[in-house]
Amino acid sequence: MTSILEPDAERQGRPETQGRREFLATRRRTALVELTMTVLTVAVAVLIAFLVVLATGKDATGALNALLTGPLERTPRIGRWLADATTLALLGLSVAIPFRARQISLGAEGQVYAGALASALVAIHLHLPPVAAVLVPLAVAALAGGALGAVPGVMKARLGANEIVATLMLNAVVVRVFDYLLTDHIKAPDSSAVQSAPVRPDSALPLLSDFFGVPLDQANIGLFGMLAVAAAVWFLLARTPLGYRIRITGSNPDFARYGGLDVPRTIEWSFVIGGALAGLAGAHLALGVYGGLQPDMAGGLAFEGIVVALLGRNNPVGVVAAALLYSYLRVGGDVMEQQTDVGSEAVTIIQAVIVLLVTARALPELVKRYLARREAR
Amino acid sequence: MGQVLDVVLSTGFLAAILGVSTPYVLAALGGLLAERAGVPNIALEGSMLTAACTGALVAGYSGSVWAGAACGIAGGALLALLLGVLHLYLGADAIIAGIGLNLLAAGATAYTVYALLGDKGGTSRLHSGALPSVRLPLIEDVPGLGAVLSGQNVLTWAALAAAPAVAWLLYRARFGFHLRAVGEHPEAARSVGIHVHRVQFRALALSGALAGAAGVFLSMGAVSFFVTGMTAGRGYIALAAVFLGALRPWGVFLAALGFGTAEALAVQLGNLDIPSQLVSAIPYAFTLVALAFFAWRRRRASRTAPASPPGLPSPHLTETP
Repeated sequence: MTSILEPDAERQGRPETQGRREFLATRRRTALVELTMTVLTVAVAVLIAFLVVLATGKDATGALNALLTGPLERTPRIGRWLADATTLALLGLSVAIPFRARQISLGAEGQVYAGALASALVAIHLHLPPVAAVLVPLAVAALAGGALGAVPGVMKARLGANEIVATLMLNAVVVRVFDYLLTDHIKAPDSSAVQSAPVRPDSALPLLSDFFGVPLDQANIGLFGMLAVAAAVWFLLARTPLGYRIRITGSNPDFARYGGLDVPRTIEWSFVIGGALAGLAGAHLALGVYGGLQPDMAGGLAFEGIVVALLGRNNPVGVVAAALLYSYLRVGGDVMEQQTDVGSEAVTIIQAVIVLLVTARALPELVKRYLARREAR
Repeated sequence: MGQVLDVVLSTGFLAAILGVSTPYVLAALGGLLAERAGVPNIALEGSMLTAACTGALVAGYSGSVWAGAACGIAGGALLALLLGVLHLYLGADAIIAGIGLNLLAAGATAYTVYALLGDKGGTSRLHSGALPSVRLPLIEDVPGLGAVLSGQNVLTWAALAAAPAVAWLLYRARFGFHLRAVGEHPEAARSVGIHVHRVQFRALALSGALAGAAGVFLSMGAVSFFVTGMTAGRGYIALAAVFLGALRPWGVFLAALGFGTAEALAVQLGNLDIPSQLVSAIPYAFTLVALAFFAWRRRRASRTAPASPPGLPSPHLTETP
């Protein structure tokens, strides 16, 4: 970002450009430290899981090997990895935006189902021209998710209602309504299993296998869509007034209020945008991964989105990297389960340790102090 | 409609409500204690799951259901204490640490069951037994009442006793006084010599133990085996009951009973061609509306409240020339 301005500024040598250089250097260093910390966190979590597996007398080395190299061994596994990373990154971004405004929204689960339901209904029933056939269901999914996000957002911003309870309750309602609609109304009459009719071929997200000529399982162009969404979120947060308001509201709500920012409106928008992204994740599941609606299709994914957001430090680039890293472990966990006697639950333990390590902010401080004390001796 | 009334008014249904409500009541009262002490305990779910798993495993291997129940409850308390360590000592956000602990409980219980028994589903091959139900010799013969109260599990009775016990603890006991002081104003509590962290740790231990009892009921009361993920979000629902009950013991008790009633109703109506998913969604929708209503009332009250404490001249009186 500095390649055009920097040489010119250097020639002039103004003090403010020097300040800017220092600022950029500090920021690069911080980013490097954060990246190291993230990789270290995952490594420690994997190590702990390795020790647990070892302690229970299982084939720990084989399990670790399957976990770390399994996903790259066959192209369909790479495809599953990329598809999973797409969903998780969208969910991570959807959680990260309210997080940046210091709002803990646990509503992604309901929003995923709402997005999946809305997009699949459009994609199953409406005849649309070729490009619109893909774009309209996605837009509808984002609208459905965003509308659902608005409910706890308005409740929190205007009434001060606890957003955690509100989102959890809304999830419980939406999941049950989804289940009811699927079993009693949407279920394809000719199928014995509880699932919807497949989406129209025009509306299904084109598979990457068709472009690259290698079998890539469910991976689809949603991957590129996700990257575009991540770039848009970065732009929103870093370069727009709303993004500035979200960041200030999150880092110092009192300052935001005294500075005359409309804090309630900012909070509402953070929920709506987060909901829209979760809705897109639902559309990716319905139109890309499953090609229709299935019961329990997003089971537990929303909480994984929180892990990804935390691991990516609520930063769009970080979230995408964390989603890639984390879904790699998930696919590796499945390979591990198939090939060794270690269940994929070990990955859930890794995930939990990651969350606990990331959130325990004082931990690095304690480690540093401990190391300093040992050096002093 | 007549059919529905028959079901709802039957003694079997009332007895079922008490059974289904038991885990909600126990866990919600646990959540209340932690919340009043100023630590939101979202790890109720994890405490329940840990306790359900530990209870069934210990009971299965030791042959004693009481040892299983005790270890289960201790396991639930231990997880809550872990939340305390993370939140109070390591500066972790209580909500996110709680979510992490819930994940840990989900992964660790599933992993342990699979490692010990080689079964991914649960401990059904381990005959762990259930806690006994309590029969009431005299009341048993009273028509109606006997069928509802007699034969309930010992933990259902514990849940019924827990509500007055928690109310007594919070409002009558010295510890409850400290607990509320710590939750409402930790600085003030510290200034009068209360060990804030110690009180919060004890509140969390109690909270986890109550959630543990709720978990033990699931795997050793309602059924006699552990199923992976058997809490199925009940801990989160219990947390909602804490807020729906306006942070008061009897309110929380009634809210938990309400969730139990709706779940029991959904099960019963499932047989009658009424969509059970919609029935079971009602309490959550109701909670959402109640949450908005209470928040709106609180906000309105804070707006219309006098700006200065009573007894002092109100500002506009002093400001008028």
